[in-house]
Amino acid sequence: MNWTPAALSQDIPSGSAAPGQLGDKDIVIWRSASGRIAAWSDRCPHRGMRLSHGFVRGEFLSCIYHGWRYGDGGQCHRIPAHPELTPPDAIKVPVFAVTESDGVVWVAQKDAEPEAPPPGLAGFSPLRTLRLSARPETVAAAFGGTGLDLRGELGGCAVVVLIQPLPDDQCNLHALAANGADTATLDRVSAALEALRRQAETAEEIAA
Amino acid sequence: MNGEAMRDQWYPVGIAAQLTPAGRDSLLLGEAIRIACDSDGAALVTDGAGRALPVITRFGHVWTTLGQPERDLFTIPEADQPGRRLVDVGTVLVRCSPLRAVENFLDIAHFPFVHTDILGSEPHTEVQRYEVEIRDDVDEVWATKVSFYQPQAAKSAQGGINAEYMYRVPAPTCSVLYKTCPARPEEWDVITLFVQPLTETTCQVWPWMALFDEDSSMTDMIHFQQMIFVQDRSILENQIPALLPLDPGMEIPTRADMTSIAYRRWLKRHGYTYGAQLVAA
Amino acid sequence: MRLYDYILSPSCYRVRLMAALAGIKLDLRAVDFHPGAEHRGPELLALNPAGTIPILTDGDLVLTQSTAILTYIAASHAPEWLGDDSPAMRAQVGQWLAFAQRLTDSAGAARLHDMLQMPGDIVALRRSATRTLRELEAAISAVRRRGGIFLVGDRPTIADIACFPYVALAPDGGLPLDAYPSIRLWMRAIRGLPGFVEMPGIHRLHELLPEPGPQPDVIRKERA
Repeated sequence: MNWTPAALSQDIPSGSAAPGQLGDKDIVIWRSASGRIAAWSDRCPHRGMRLSHGFVRGEFLSCIYHGWRYGDGGQCHRIPAHPELTPPDAIKVPVFAVTESDGVVWVAQKDAEPEAPPPGLAGFSPLRTLRLSARPETVAAAFGGTGLDLRGELGGCAVVVLIQPLPDDQCNLHALAANGADTATLDRVSAALEALRRQAETAEEIAA
Repeated sequence: MNGEAMRDQWYPVGIAAQLTPAGRDSLLLGEAIRIACDSDGAALVTDGAGRALPVITRFGHVWTTLGQPERDLFTIPEADQPGRRLVDVGTVLVRCSPLRAVENFLDIAHFPFVHTDILGSEPHTEVQRYEVEIRDDVDEVWATKVSFYQPQAAKSAQGGINAEYMYRVPAPTCSVLYKTCPARPEEWDVITLFVQPLTETTCQVWPWMALFDEDSSMTDMIHFQQMIFVQDRSILENQIPALLPLDPGMEIPTRADMTSIAYRRWLKRHGYTYGAQLVAA
Repeated sequence: MRLYDYILSPSCYRVRLMAALAGIKLDLRAVDFHPGAEHRGPELLALNPAGTIPILTDGDLVLTQSTAILTYIAASHAPEWLGDDSPAMRAQVGQWLAFAQRLTDSAGAARLHDMLQMPGDIVALRRSATRTLRELEAAISAVRRRGGIFLVGDRPTIADIACFPYVALAPDGGLPLDAYPSIRLWMRAIRGLPGFVEMPGIHRLHELLPEPGPQPDVIRKERA
């Protein structure tokens, strides 16, 4: 298995959590106050609440439902209903492998961490992530490429478009644009991505 | 269908004061039903084939069943005390298991995080030991001697109090809460959660209250309870799995969850499993 | 100023939020919208024949459109929330107030359908809401490229307050916000504003408070 692009680093600032996905698994991607990124199962072991609805205080992520507080490695550190209790080691959120490079957050299964690093994206800066209702091959065809790592030009600018396949014939596009592109150019790339999405979704609807 | 035993139960399907001759369509345990009234205002509930279903009107709501209940619908004797104001709170549809909705109602540890500065607040998060039993004589789950610090326990409460609670589960999708009554410390306010299971993962929630409160307007009392319930809704729609897991390995309870443990055990014992997941998926 | 209010109405919440952020106390008059349908009763129809809430009264003035009420509160008590008076910014704020109505008509109608079973073509409503949310996401991503986060200019305005409630509550209508990273950060910026108040369905930013009290091992040592 390879690393899967799951988010852009700029979309998960320190002290925040966001929902993400790895294949059909729901994950929470969160960054501690000191800037450490983590990807965990998006489910509190207590009552199954999505941890991506939770809150980050310092180096810990807490569940919004009962405030159970989790730290490094997914370990539960505090149960507010029992402030005196040291939670047993067994109370743990399953964790995923995560790495950040060139402004992209990549995730993988913990027990199948890829040996090769994620593809190099030197020369490009993260632009934005878009969700669309089309299969990856439909998107690649609309872009005029193949595979999940599309490189070419959009809106008059060199771009990399990373496709993250999602369940139910959906995918995320994580788009990067050439370093140094000015704001007006980036606006054109963003508009071209919207156009690409419309084109792919229309093609998908016709195919269906 | 999962949970055949649940067919032989009574369920709330509407507010008695709001029936119309034209009626409206709904679901009960995944089956089509229709709720209307005759020219005298008496409730009429029919199944998908147009056959009349049994009807009870109680606690301001219309109740029906698809099966053959062995028992009458439970009663709440306290609610008949003179001087109580009876509050039809209305209804909200929730995309969750009907059993998850009841379990959440039985839970106090979430107050500081979900009902912040109303029913609870940090740092007052500790849940003291309380008592839970399955009362075999009445076949109900009871939790007593529950107490929790609350910044604003009811519409009529001024400032924080240590609120006392008793919880009662008289039917698989109904719970009755007896709670410290700010206006009359010697009495309990009665706050209920009646849940109509539409499907295993969607339900219609009909809260109802019988309160001693001479000061608040009816609208204020309704809004207070609607506010509390809708705060819960965003939690209930984001629990995974949507079904209530009865497999003990699926979720990790603590001492604060004793009511939920007893509720799950009682559901399992009776085969009340519509909306439940028996083994981990 | 008296607000005819319903705790679960995102349009009423717009007004409550604006007043809270501007530090203004409103005289709240609770309307039994559900289950009582009081907004369609004689007293409220006399004030607002359209049969909608919120309604704001201030002396003889009666306002019945939430975005107009935002304009009134800001203009009379907190003009910095109107944006500056440059032609472009005035027009942009006005454009977002109109956009907010599209949110009400799509995401808001989907929410009423899903929560209170009001009539509506839910598939069409969600499709329309998704288009609207995608436009907002694109707009906020453009603002972020310029170092900002609020819709117009470099500070929050009534444009943000008008759009925020129906966006934040979109999941109530079966419209998850997982796919909108810029919207998420924009909502976070609004929720972090001094004086912010929540409504049911929108949780407080608990991260703004410190974790209370000592940790378990310290408590046990102290009690020993």
